Amino acid sequence: MDFLRKEWRSRLVLFLAVVGPGFITANVDNDANGIATYSVAGAQFGYSLLWTMIPTIVALVVVQEMSARMGAVTGKGLSDLIREEFGLRTTFILMLALVATNYLNIVGEFAGVASGFELFGISKYIVVPLAALIVWAMVVHGTYSSVEKIFLSASLFYVAYVVSGVLAHPDWKAAALSTVTRPASIGFRNYGYLYMVISLVGTTIAPWMQFYLQASIVEKGVTVRQYAASRLDVIVGCLFAGIVAWFIVVACAATLHTVGKYNIVTAADAAQALRPLASEYAYLLFAAGLFNASLFAASILPISTAYAVCEGLGLESGLDKRFDEAPTFYWLYTLLIVVGAGALMLPRFPLFRVMVASQMLNGVLLPFVLVFIVVLMNDRELMGEHVNSRGYNIVAWATVAVMIALTVAMIFWR
Amino acid sequence: MSLVALSEMLGAPVRDASGAVRGRVREISVAPQEHPTRIAHLIVRTADGERFLSLTDLKSAGATVRTTTDASRWERYIPSDGVLLLKRDLLDQQIIDIHGRKVVRVNDVELESTPVNSHLLLNIVAVDVGARGAIRRLSKGLMPSFTLRALLDKIPPRVIPWEYVDLIETDPARRVKLKIAYEGLAKLHPADIANIVEDLPPAEREAVFETIDEEVAAETLEELDPDIKKSVVESLDKDRIADIVEEMDPDAAADLLGDLPEERSGEILKEMQPEERQEVTQLLEFAEHTAAGRMTTEFIAAPETAVVDDAIEALKRFEGSREALATVYLTGPGNRLVGSVPLVRIAISSPGAQLSDLSEPYVACAPDTPEDEVAALFDKYNLITLAVVDEHGRLTGIITADDVITMLRHRH
Repeated sequence: MDFLRKEWRSRLVLFLAVVGPGFITANVDNDANGIATYSVAGAQFGYSLLWTMIPTIVALVVVQEMSARMGAVTGKGLSDLIREEFGLRTTFILMLALVATNYLNIVGEFAGVASGFELFGISKYIVVPLAALIVWAMVVHGTYSSVEKIFLSASLFYVAYVVSGVLAHPDWKAAALSTVTRPASIGFRNYGYLYMVISLVGTTIAPWMQFYLQASIVEKGVTVRQYAASRLDVIVGCLFAGIVAWFIVVACAATLHTVGKYNIVTAADAAQALRPLASEYAYLLFAAGLFNASLFAASILPISTAYAVCEGLGLESGLDKRFDEAPTFYWLYTLLIVVGAGALMLPRFPLFRVMVASQMLNGVLLPFVLVFIVVLMNDRELMGEHVNSRGYNIVAWATVAVMIALTVAMIFWR
Repeated sequence: MSLVALSEMLGAPVRDASGAVRGRVREISVAPQEHPTRIAHLIVRTADGERFLSLTDLKSAGATVRTTTDASRWERYIPSDGVLLLKRDLLDQQIIDIHGRKVVRVNDVELESTPVNSHLLLNIVAVDVGARGAIRRLSKGLMPSFTLRALLDKIPPRVIPWEYVDLIETDPARRVKLKIAYEGLAKLHPADIANIVEDLPPAEREAVFETIDEEVAAETLEELDPDIKKSVVESLDKDRIADIVEEMDPDAAADLLGDLPEERSGEILKEMQPEERQEVTQLLEFAEHTAAGRMTTEFIAAPETAVVDDAIEALKRFEGSREALATVYLTGPGNRLVGSVPLVRIAISSPGAQLSDLSEPYVACAPDTPEDEVAALFDKYNLITLAVVDEHGRLTGIITADDVITMLRHRH
């Protein structure tokens, strides 16, 4: 018995030591764009999109596990490997697409900041530039790593959705049924429906996550030997992200969709989902949570994009370098923030629409990034005995095929 | 003599003696066993499989390759481990830029073609790591080649001459065949090598530490970031790491082994020479954050009756680190510390002068003195070295200023 307990304890210690990459990535994944997308999905389609959750989470676990494994085995970042195996031109095109997509994601994060403060009547012209400045300085001055834990703990906010979802007395039977079977009420020949399905997948399995997770695994120096613990971390993170996503959709379906409020245009609409839990404080809770989620992701997205691009293109990168040593790195990082926040300065900026649109774009880019990952994961010279098993390949290729089919169908039914 | 880029040649049509296109260039190989920079073969993909094209058959090389022989005479291509394939092994891969002291990614390779008698010689002259090589490859085929050349001429080149390039190969057998020895790298200052190594992925780090000279490896290891140091030590096999640890200063070796799991450090100690092992084992017993945990047991001590000449003799025989050379300690009966003579005073005194006459009041601390107090003593007395004495006043070791600086920096 004693022996067992010791083993259990050492396992726990091992897990806590590597808790981080997988769990952090999963939490950042539920960013402002994620909250917006899940909320809009719940309000617009009620329970009828819940069927996407289980396959998406399965795909998420598979994709994230592949990225983590690749990082642990090779010790290299995803864009490094793509460059080494597929050459400069392919890498360049992929990086252009990644910058464009991540840019919209960054705009979405700042839109999250803007809409959170909109609830209190504070102008976006004040908060967005301020948030941009905070993010920029925090990362460049290296204070980010100490703030990360605050962000992470504040992510407990997501539990509010779970509680609120329960308190809203949803139709459990309908919700459960819709989770395991696809309700036939709406067909695939509907542009809005397809758009939403792609956005849901795109927000849950965002392309930037693969680059970020793999980089974090490498940065942490996780090797094959400690990999078992990292795998657990990744899986727990993905499941947590999935449960939160499910409850956001259910909470929004139960509070908004059932009362005929189908369109979420502002944060005030989305905040209604927290009313069963926080009644008149729902705004406050929602605003705080959205602000934390936005700032958390906004601190990670631009820097992770700058790293991925510079590493792929062989340019100097790293916060330990001076500005004149790694000019492209710092310029790209700075521009992503400045131009990202700058987009919010446009008057009548459709906050929630852009947040969801960025996730749709994630969904469109996902299969392309995935193809590279799967090909690399099957390269025996690179991965040795850690190449993909057949099950993994089936899930991964199926995800690629489904996402491309959905995109083509969406364009077709437009 | 003219320059041609690897990316121009890859995919270039190959015309045989009759002028007909017989295939396209797929790879370019160098056989380092025969010649370090000369291109050995072009590997050409033809309708009839892949063929070796020997350089003696070449008439011109560039966006089109012309040969003097008939395609039927080209030998069938057989893959081999012992050759460097420029596209696979060099293009888009990371290399070490010895001159710039960093790790860079190769955008293109510059070859120099020289006509000799009736054929061509091709040599690698440099790797392109700048925008010019990148733009050349990105726009290849998208615009006419003369427009591209005119555009590229306007971009300042960023190339690394081939002699300043160290390749990274993780397979030890292949490293031998390709004659990769990190000779350029090993000539750099250990602190620079450490910076470079930190930028490499783990398997490549291991490759460097497996290959370079033990003494250089030891000094480099001391300079590495603690986390990376640990992972390097864990990845190397125990014979190799024991060889490296033997070359380290005993205090640094003790620090390093102290950070490892006991099982691993025991394994390494077992592989070490008895003498070095004993020194390190002694130090390992002291608490890490005390004077004893920071001290080295390699220092120069002379009897109090000695003269300057004796001290110089001792200096010549000394094998410890240079930092420990700054002071010669004087000991009385029973190895008790009685004085200290700075190296400078020895250097400017006559050979016969008594060391005890040159001695200055010495500063010493007990083995269990905390690190903070050690640093305070260095600050207060402007020390370069500090003696550590046991409860009987016997000299057991010294602490050098560089260790104190490291200690202070790591705390922040």
